Amino acid sequence: MNKNKEKLLNSRYRAEKRFQFYGKSAIFLALLFLTIFIFKIFSTGYTAFQKTWLIVPVTFDAETMYLDENPSKEDLEDADYFDLALQTMFNLDKSASEKQQNDLKRMVSYFFEREIKRELLNDPSLIGKTKDVYLTASDDLDQVFKGNYPRDLPEDQRRVTDYQLKIFDQLVEQGRIESKFNLSFFTYPDSREAELAGIASSFMGSIFSILVCLVIAFPVAVLAAIYLEEFAPKNRFTDFIEVNINNLAAVPSIVFGLLGLGILLAVFQLPRSTPLVGGITLSLMTLPTIIIACRASLKAVPPSIREAALAMGASKMQTTMHHTVPLSMPGTLSGTIIGLAQALGETAPLILIGMVAFVNTIPGSPLDPAASLPVQIYIWAESAERGFVEKVSACIMVLLGFLIIMNLFAQIIRHKFEKKWS
Amino acid sequence: MKKNGVKMIKINSKNVDVFYGKKQALFNINLDIEENQVTALIGPSGCGKSTFLRCLNRMNDVIDICRVKGQIIINDFDINDKSCDVVRLREKIGMVFQKPNPFPKTIYENISYGPTIHGMAQSKNEMDEIVENSLKKAALWEEVKDRLHEPGTGLSGGQQQRLCIARAISVKPEVILMDEPCSALDPIATAQIEELIDELKKDHTIIIVTHSMAQAARVSQNTGFFHLGELIEHGSTDKIFKNPENKRTQDYITGRFG
Repeated sequence: MNKNKEKLLNSRYRAEKRFQFYGKSAIFLALLFLTIFIFKIFSTGYTAFQKTWLIVPVTFDAETMYLDENPSKEDLEDADYFDLALQTMFNLDKSASEKQQNDLKRMVSYFFEREIKRELLNDPSLIGKTKDVYLTASDDLDQVFKGNYPRDLPEDQRRVTDYQLKIFDQLVEQGRIESKFNLSFFTYPDSREAELAGIASSFMGSIFSILVCLVIAFPVAVLAAIYLEEFAPKNRFTDFIEVNINNLAAVPSIVFGLLGLGILLAVFQLPRSTPLVGGITLSLMTLPTIIIACRASLKAVPPSIREAALAMGASKMQTTMHHTVPLSMPGTLSGTIIGLAQALGETAPLILIGMVAFVNTIPGSPLDPAASLPVQIYIWAESAERGFVEKVSACIMVLLGFLIIMNLFAQIIRHKFEKKWS
Repeated sequence: MKKNGVKMIKINSKNVDVFYGKKQALFNINLDIEENQVTALIGPSGCGKSTFLRCLNRMNDVIDICRVKGQIIINDFDINDKSCDVVRLREKIGMVFQKPNPFPKTIYENISYGPTIHGMAQSKNEMDEIVENSLKKAALWEEVKDRLHEPGTGLSGGQQQRLCIARAISVKPEVILMDEPCSALDPIATAQIEELIDELKKDHTIIIVTHSMAQAARVSQNTGFFHLGELIEHGSTDKIFKNPENKRTQDYITGRFG
């Protein structure tokens, strides 16, 4: 009898040990995947935060720019910098053939003309003088300098010619190639050229969408939740509504996109590709999340608090507004932020309402066309250039950073405003 | 308090039945509560004494499936009548619950909440006075006067319960209902509350539900004994404890069941 008991006890201990082992393995596996994922993104993406510049001596020759003597500010604005810019690049190798000259020109971005112009506008006294100017290297050379580009391929299989590599190596030797923090990644809108593409448009688009989403979803959801939880009679009809709110939370997001397309764009004729439409569509998606979070935190307020207020002669409305709702706010707010974080990462509905369009302007309001961060990732991931590969990862990093900050904020709100009740 | 030698009746309940859904919880309760006296309601768990208490300020309204029949007359007015305003009623009839339930706000705000919503103070000074008086009457003032703006939930259990009593008396109710106010407290805190109850009966009519027979004997002048939803016997505490008429009352009081 005793022996049997001992056996039973041992097997119970073993069962617990086994269970703990399974649990630990599951956690380990999850962490492993997370680590691989983050490592992959960082290792491909971190180079996108560096940008390669060619430092080229520019002789601001008034004649090449077709400028008269003592030009005014307007004259400088209107002057022709293209020939000057071309000349500058050709000067890198004065003996270059016509084909080689073309190669030289393609060593820098097509912004080279603007970059030279900006230099002169900043300091008009440069006319007639020579100055070293930073020009954005072309995407391919940028990748070569970062070591992402296989140089040992046969020439006809790569986009950089041997001649370009030769000149580039000379420039490296002369210390005329420099890598600096890629500010333009954050300040430029999207571009077809990888070296000039930035996330400004999609970042602003995401912010505007989220703001529109918050402004619409939060008040509607909170009011709905308070009414359903505190005031509505409990009957079949409210049960039906509750079930359907839960169903709404489970609807695939692309369906909301179709709704946005069919109703907001087709019927209400709202402007296509704008954060306004995106935000409204996302708010439909966020609505059930916030309602559920708000109802859960209203339910979590102990009934004793409601009774205390009611017994003091507070009306139902006063009880709700003075006690229940303030106590439920931390949970509601963190639920809201998590809902918004979901909306922030949403791609499918935004593609349907046209936020996938190529936008190379930075939106100034929710009514301007814009992209959004996840859609930007989608667009870049489809591009072939090597330069976009690192940009995809960099954009994912920005999006993840954004999400982490939002979730952190949700945690802080929950901890800071959570009140302990007896 | 006696008027011409006759005790004044504050609350008069006639044929009160209470149902939870289909289940009847109280059967035909007829009980008169005397003014400025402490009335104890005793009985085993689930006998309906708390349910009856909650009828007196219509707290049963909160429970969807609960229905109350019969008349409960307070100040010549049936509170179960449709014309009765629950908010007004609860201003007149305060309640202290089994578990201390201060609002998760400061001590000051806990007390000032009632007077604020009922518009009882015209100025900050008046409110300060109400808060001070209420806390003094609840014998809590000395302990908390230096930390009125600290959270009420930070007090000890006994202090929290006295805070709840102070909150209840802040609106100067005529009746105070107490639902096992000491069941979550230690003996010292219990003694403080009992002392307080004795003090409070000068200005208020008190009805207390208690599990402790000793407590009922100590604090009350009248006692009602409930069993299985019926009011078995009621009368002066002396009589109920020393010379009960009903056998069930006697069995309960002598500890043979319950």
